[in-house]
Amino acid sequence: MRERRRRAGGHGLAALAIVLLLGACAQTQSFLTSGDLAEKPANPHVLIMPTDVELSELTAAGLLEPNAAWTAAGRRNVDAALDALLAQRSAIAVRYDETDSAAKEAEAQLLKLHSVVGGTILVHKYLPALALPTKKDIFDWSLGDGATALREPYGADYALFIYLRDSFASDSRKALIVVGAVLGIGVSGGHQAGFASLVDLRSGEIIWFNRLVSAAGDLREPELAREATHNLLKDLPL
Amino acid sequence: MKCARATSLLTAAALLASGCAQTGDIQKIEPGERPSIESDEAGLWMQMDRFEEDLKTSGKVIADPDLNAYVRDILCRLKADYCVDIRIYIVRTADFNASMAPNGVMIVWTGIILRARNEAQLASVLGHELVHYIGRHALKRWREIRNTTDAAVFFTFATGGIAGILAGFAAYDSIMSFSRDMEREADSRGLAMMHAAGYDSREAAKIWQQLIKEKEESDEPKRSAFFSTHPATEERSKTLAELAAATDNAGTSLGRERHAAMTAPFRHDWLLDELRQRDYARFEVLLDQLSETGQEDGELLFFRGELHRLRGEGEDDAKAIAAYTAALESDSAPPETYRSLGLVQWSAGNTAATRAAFESYLASERDPEDRAMIEHYLQQIP
Repeated sequence: MRERRRRAGGHGLAALAIVLLLGACAQTQSFLTSGDLAEKPANPHVLIMPTDVELSELTAAGLLEPNAAWTAAGRRNVDAALDALLAQRSAIAVRYDETDSAAKEAEAQLLKLHSVVGGTILVHKYLPALALPTKKDIFDWSLGDGATALREPYGADYALFIYLRDSFASDSRKALIVVGAVLGIGVSGGHQAGFASLVDLRSGEIIWFNRLVSAAGDLREPELAREATHNLLKDLPL
Repeated sequence: MKCARATSLLTAAALLASGCAQTGDIQKIEPGERPSIESDEAGLWMQMDRFEEDLKTSGKVIADPDLNAYVRDILCRLKADYCVDIRIYIVRTADFNASMAPNGVMIVWTGIILRARNEAQLASVLGHELVHYIGRHALKRWREIRNTTDAAVFFTFATGGIAGILAGFAAYDSIMSFSRDMEREADSRGLAMMHAAGYDSREAAKIWQQLIKEKEESDEPKRSAFFSTHPATEERSKTLAELAAATDNAGTSLGRERHAAMTAPFRHDWLLDELRQRDYARFEVLLDQLSETGQEDGELLFFRGELHRLRGEGEDDAKAIAAYTAALESDSAPPETYRSLGLVQWSAGNTAATRAAFESYLASERDPEDRAMIEHYLQQIP
C-alpha cells in the first residue's frame, strides 16, 4: 500500500513525450484525411471538446511539477483564443457540457478513445521509424461510429479536440542552464507541445490532425496563448 | 581548473536555487481543507482530479451500492470527520493493494477485500491509507523527490563521471528510505486508529502474515505488483504484531460475519480473477486461508478443482475430480462445477462420467450460454 501521486505512465506516454518534445522552435506538421472531405456547411457548428491543457514547472532534474493556477489561466486563454479563431472562420463554436448527466458516461469513453487514438497517431505518424506499413502513405484514422452520438445532442457537424502542455524552468533549472552553458553542457528550458484533431461527426473520421512543438511561448499570457492556438489550428480545414 | 570553476558556479547556483525550494514542516491536512491554488499541492490535486475523472468511468470500478456502503462505513467509523473528504473506488483487480491520492481518492483493489478475513483486517488497510491522506504524504514525497533530484543534478554537473552516477544512486536511496518511513508511520498510526474505532488491532499483522505465506509459495513472487514494491513485509508484520500486543484488545470486535455477508456475492468473480493469474501454488495458499475459518463450501471446493484441472500435473486430474465431487455434495457448488467435472473426466478418459457430467450441466442451468459447445462435446464423446 502506498500513496499514489500521479497516474502510472505506460510506454505509450513515454513515446508520446518523445514525439512531442522533438522540435525546438515553433513547428507544426499536419495531416488531412486521405478520404474525401464531406461537403462543409457554410457555417459549420464545431463542438469544442474539453480542452486538455496542463502547465507545469520544470525542476532542475527535469521533472514536471503541475501548476494549478497556471493551468487555470492557460486553459482560460486557450478557450478564449479558440472562440475568436472559430468566429473568424465563420464557424459556430458549441461548448461541451461538462456537468454530469446520463449521457456523460458514453461521452467520457469517447474522450478516452480519442486520447488513445491521438497518442497512436503521434507515435506512428510522426516517428518515421515506427510508421505502420499499412498506414505509411495514407491518413485514415477514425473514432468509429460511436462518435456520431455527439452530433445530435449538440447539433454539431465537427468535434475539435485540443491537447496542450506547457512548461517553464524553475529558478534552480535556470541556474542549471547557466552552469551548463559555462561547462558546455546543453540544458533545455521549458517546452510547449500539443496536438489538435478535427472529427467529422457524420462519420467519426479524424479528418485533420496537427502537432505543435515549440521551445518558446507561454500559455499564461493571453496574447501568446492566442499565437499558439493559431499556430496549432492555422490549416484547420474550416 | 574546470572543476574549481564549476564548484564556485555551483555555489552561486545553489544560492539561487535555495530561494525557491519549499522547506519547513508539512502540517497534517484538516477536515474539509483544500490547498490554495497557488501551491504545489494544488498541482498534485489537479493531476489526481483528472485521474479521478477517468477512473469514474472505468469498467473496473465496482459500482455496487451495498459493497461501497460497507467499505465506506468502516472508513467513517475510523475517522468520522475526514470521511466526507475521501472518495473510495473499489477496483476489480486480483492481487493485494490499495493506494491513496492526495486529493482524497482512495483506491481499494478487490484482491485486498477478498483476502481480508474480517472487517478489522479491512479497517487496518483503510486506516493505513487514511494516514497517508491526513499526513499529506504525497506532498511530502513529491517535495523530497524534487529537492533530492535537484541536489543530485547539481552535484553531477560539478563532479561528473562516476561520482555523478553515485549521486543518482544516493538520491534514489534517500527517496526510497523516505517512502519506507512514511509506510511505517501509516502502519503505526493506522493501527492506533483501528483500535480507537473498536477493532481488534491484532488483525493488522495477520493480513500481512497471510500475504507472506502466499509469497513463500508463489511460483513467481516477483510478478506480483505488491511484492515488488513492498520488500519488507516480514518486518512490517512483526512490528504491527508487537504494537498490537502492547495494546489492550479486550472488548474489540472482528466483524467477521458482516464481512463474509457483504463479500459473498462477489467472491466467485474475485476468485476467478485470482485463478486467472495462473500462479497455482499461490492460489492454493489463498484457498487454504479462505477455508481456514469454516468448512470448505461448494464454491471454494469448485475453485480447488479448477486449480488442479488447469494446472494438470501429476495427480491433478484425480484431485480435481475429488474436489468437484465434494463440491457437488454440498448445496453451494456453482452450476459450472458439472461442466468442469465433465472436462476433467474427459481428459482422464472416463467417457460415461463425462457424458453424465455434461448432461447434468445442461440440465442444471436454465439456459447456459455455452449450450451449443457442450452439445457439440457430447457428440464427440465415443
